[in-house]
Amino acid sequence: MAVSWLHKFAARGRVPVFPVLGKQGDGVLRHLALSPRIELVDSPRHASVLLVAGEVPADRCEPLRRVHDQLPYPFTTLWFRSEPWPHLERVARIDDLDDLPGALVTAHRELMEGRRGSAHRLLPDEPPNPWEGEGDFGQGGEGMMGGVPYGRPMAMNMEDDIRDGLTLDSLTFRLGPFFFAFPPGMAAEITLQGDLVQTWKTQLAPYPQPLDEVFFDARQRPVPIAEVELARARHHLHQLFHALHLAGLENVSLRTLRLAHGLSTSSTLDGLRRALSRRGFFRLTAGGGVLGPEQARMIGGPAARAAGLDDDLRAEDAGYRRLGFSPVCQTAGDTHARWRQLLDEIDQSLHLARLAERDRVHTERTGSVETPRGPWSARRPADASALFDELLPGLEWGDALATVASLDVAGLADQPVGTRPSGESRAVRGGTGNDV
Amino acid sequence: MFSELFLPVLMVIFMLVVGGYAVAVLDRLVASALGVPQAGGIWLAPMARGAWLLTQHANATEAPDWRAWRLAPALYLALAAGGLAVVPWSASLVATDLVTSVVLWGSVEALATVVIFLHGWSANSLLALIGGYRYVALGLSYILISMFVLIGVALPAESLQFTQVVASQEGLWNVIRQPLGLPLFLIVGLGMTFWGPLNLADSTDLAGGTASEISGPPRLVWDMARAAMLVAFSGVAATAFLGGWLGPWLPGPLWISLKMLAVLSVLLLLGRLLPRLAPERCVTLMWVVLLPLSFIDLVWAGIGALL
Repeated sequence: MAVSWLHKFAARGRVPVFPVLGKQGDGVLRHLALSPRIELVDSPRHASVLLVAGEVPADRCEPLRRVHDQLPYPFTTLWFRSEPWPHLERVARIDDLDDLPGALVTAHRELMEGRRGSAHRLLPDEPPNPWEGEGDFGQGGEGMMGGVPYGRPMAMNMEDDIRDGLTLDSLTFRLGPFFFAFPPGMAAEITLQGDLVQTWKTQLAPYPQPLDEVFFDARQRPVPIAEVELARARHHLHQLFHALHLAGLENVSLRTLRLAHGLSTSSTLDGLRRALSRRGFFRLTAGGGVLGPEQARMIGGPAARAAGLDDDLRAEDAGYRRLGFSPVCQTAGDTHARWRQLLDEIDQSLHLARLAERDRVHTERTGSVETPRGPWSARRPADASALFDELLPGLEWGDALATVASLDVAGLADQPVGTRPSGESRAVRGGTGNDV
Repeated sequence: MFSELFLPVLMVIFMLVVGGYAVAVLDRLVASALGVPQAGGIWLAPMARGAWLLTQHANATEAPDWRAWRLAPALYLALAAGGLAVVPWSASLVATDLVTSVVLWGSVEALATVVIFLHGWSANSLLALIGGYRYVALGLSYILISMFVLIGVALPAESLQFTQVVASQEGLWNVIRQPLGLPLFLIVGLGMTFWGPLNLADSTDLAGGTASEISGPPRLVWDMARAAMLVAFSGVAATAFLGGWLGPWLPGPLWISLKMLAVLSVLLLLGRLLPRLAPERCVTLMWVVLLPLSFIDLVWAGIGALL
């Protein structure tokens, strides 16, 4: 009786959801973040529902199985615009974004009230590598040192410190492709000393990111500049939303998201900029990650302009020139400069959108477009995540993640937002996966 | 027998439960006021969350130090209980009126560093370990500041007993007598309870840090312990700087409860308003700015005591 009461009570709380992002899955995060019944969590240990959002490529399926098995019992899974694996029992697939919050709440409630059984583990409960321990403490080497007891080296002082001479044990590990603070799909092998990044090797590049359709149209034909600039501002606001969550400013991050959702030519950035400035976002939070000129050029877009390069294809468009456009730039090239740059560009985009809407100005140059990710002329902006390998060593963990958040490195997808990646099966609304 | 043994224990347990619940509700109220969506009733939400954590299994990691991992949340809760035990509710209503209660609080702060590191380290997991490392780096910084500030309030009382510290504020509260003391101590509080801008141990960039790998009942105990430590800290701050139970018209326990609520509200508001400080900036701030300020506070308090 008491247990039943407890479960019913547990079903009334917010639903803790751990999102695993597949291709084009990140839009789901922004939709769910504003839902009062859903709590997006950063660790699978803190979740009741595992949400697989978007198609997960074959090379990320093994990590997905490992994340799946990290959720504590009882838990359940829900697949959004992605086909559940056939061997999973009673797994729901949802395709309509508006139905998703309700489906998550129902799944959690049914789980708590015992009307839905918990998902089962997919992998055997054993170490991923065989035990190779030797010696008194099973450490595998001589005395207290050395060895690879589970296929991983012991944390040992094998590399010189690169900062202040305080040499700590090196710890090598792999993170991603579903770590919330990385661009979706990215994985890296990292060596830390304390919380200082010693080495960083990007192993899986992030998924190509889709852009708003208007940027694809702008390459084909003249489009209203107001539309292009609002889409650009929205893209930047989405990036800022993730960074503010990472910085621990949850309420401002949601405010940013609300601004992005309701963005129009009458929107202003003043309130948000003031809030960020007053709360010390530009002074107190993690920073670093200075881009050199070559690195800045390699990434392009706002990151390059934050490092002082004034390259912007909009300057070559007669429509933009008529609106008095000239690129805005910063000089420092670090994380904080990139946030200032982003805010300046959002402001500028809103201003241009207002003018363009009033005067009905369209783009005039086709064949190339300045996307929020960088210039797209002959080739789409390509993945630049390998840049992290040279940029992040020497930074503290917080600075490294802030740098990752401030750089839009994923290459551009060949299809706009909302287009299903090729090869995805037909949507089955509210359907279930097959039994084992 | 009842008043010496059971009453103090009951008082502390009551404060752990009521205080923990108050923190959960207040934090949701603050979040709601700042635009973070809250589902259902704010009063019931903490209990629904507690019920969910009770139904969730405590998970395992690969080869954790089981004893330390399971003990750490309980030890942190015990430290919070120790802190609450020395907070005086009136001249006579104190769970344990030690003559060295200020020193006992100092030891709670120091041992918290050990317990939080233990929590991060024993999970045998990467992000939890980094959280533990960070807390040790921060802990060393804030403990010194806390020590100087608390010696400052002990000087006019000529005692290390919190009841005497309150009695010494009969004419003038320490918040006015030593103007640097309370602001410095509030920063110490955010650091010690790793809350808001100084939450480097269980931070979002570590997916929950030392708590990133825990679930179910251990997580519930850890969350309760963190809330209880905030309450204990608020009690000590109200006692040391805001005159404890002193105040007109209302009974002493009500006065200190109100003062504790005020301190709690300030801490929770700061926690929601400010971003997390970068660890290096945080340590620099502590050693270069706040520690010298705490020296000045101590000298100020010493001169005040001599005059």
